[in-house]
Amino acid sequence: MGITDYLATGTLAMLLGLDRVAFLQCMVSRPLVAAPLTGWLLGVPLTGLEVGMLLELLWLGRLPVGTVIPPDDTQVAIGATALALTLERLLGLQGMPAVILCVLVAIPLGQVGLYADGRARRANGQLALQAEAAAAAGHSRRIEWLHLCGSGHFALAGLGTCAVIVAIGTLILYPLAPLLVGAVRETGLSLQYSFTLIGAAVLLGTLNVRRGLYLFGLAFVATLLVLWLR
Amino acid sequence: MKPAQIPWLVLLRGCGRSCLHQSSWNFERMQNLGLLYQLLPGLRHLYGGAPPPAVLQRYTGYFNTHPFLAPWIAGTALRLEERQLAGEPLPVDAMAFRQMVMAPYAAIGDALFWGALRPLAAVVGLFLAMQGFLWAPLALLTLFNLPHLLCRGAGWLLGYVQELRSVETLQRLRLPDVAIWLKEGTVILLGVLCGILAVRGCEHQAIEALWGLVLLPVVLLFAWLARRGVTSFALVIITTVSLLGLALVMR
Repeated sequence: MGITDYLATGTLAMLLGLDRVAFLQCMVSRPLVAAPLTGWLLGVPLTGLEVGMLLELLWLGRLPVGTVIPPDDTQVAIGATALALTLERLLGLQGMPAVILCVLVAIPLGQVGLYADGRARRANGQLALQAEAAAAAGHSRRIEWLHLCGSGHFALAGLGTCAVIVAIGTLILYPLAPLLVGAVRETGLSLQYSFTLIGAAVLLGTLNVRRGLYLFGLAFVATLLVLWLR
Repeated sequence: MKPAQIPWLVLLRGCGRSCLHQSSWNFERMQNLGLLYQLLPGLRHLYGGAPPPAVLQRYTGYFNTHPFLAPWIAGTALRLEERQLAGEPLPVDAMAFRQMVMAPYAAIGDALFWGALRPLAAVVGLFLAMQGFLWAPLALLTLFNLPHLLCRGAGWLLGYVQELRSVETLQRLRLPDVAIWLKEGTVILLGVLCGILAVRGCEHQAIEALWGLVLLPVVLLFAWLARRGVTSFALVIITTVSLLGLALVMR
């Protein structure tokens, strides 16, 4: 990856990071959107779509409610796509096994996002205190400015998380990817599908729908039978 | 009651600002500045450019609700501020209204948007992506954002125009029921998605598709584990290590 690619990835990490909490929340930060967008920007849209499909359901059940900070799947998606391109350029590794390796490395590194997001929110606490003083003085413009500064904290948190995933991920994958990619290839579709199945299971476990397990089981069996009889 | 006096352009500015409602989200007071940020264009209009400190300070305390339903509260709060300034007797002032509705609105919004619509849009997007549609991300965005943006925009304006009656409007929409229907739809779609994956896996292994039924108890076991607090991260690690180990042993 060249410097332009890194800059593009960083900019996207900040912009899409804002969508998670600070700005609009129109779901461009979902992995199924963020990863293809990164891939498109870096010239590998299909790789991005593959990353997005693997990650989309994994943390969907974690709701951003109250003080809960969900895992940063946006930066994991962006970082994994950038890592996939790095593997392709540095080692000539491509295809689904390489993508899966990148995702597997990006997932644990993405835990940094929890720390970064927490730091951003604590920094915003300071802004709220300053805003109280500004309100007491009747400075409404300053309150607006302080409020907008909070977005900067979230953008930096996104950028930092993505930088950690790409930098440390590259250091891990450069020596290990050639050794592991064969084993991943031998798992066939099982490892690839396991991400979606785990995500579906976790979502099923957290959706809290009465008769949810029956509905799921019925739809599963009906689909299987229809496809079997086809 | 005096007719509303705030120009539509000012209201639209407040409505547009709702996109930045959570910019300064913090652990102590959560979305306090976000609400004030939405109200400021209207408050400036009411107070001739400079809202007094007492008014500003009313909004620096704790505030937390669902970001998409916050515009409903902001619109109503602004209208109540306007009436309070005009010296009209109010059944409830803006502060009390804010305190009364933020928790119920949060519960409604969280269940509908985070708990139901977001998973449904994501599963539909994923379903289309797995069928090879490259525009699947656009389907996700469209499905989620049509109701989302409608709720934000209409909420601000209805909140201002209907004032306290906007609570009844929201009640009439029966959003908790809608959330349950959407969740049930998501669960069915998840079942279909997993069924398709099971058949594809069997075809890849060149075995009878009915063997895919083996996957059902596995998914249900994972769902049970998730309900017991096992994280996605842990499940991914366990599954990956198992599958890679199996592949190495079978080599």
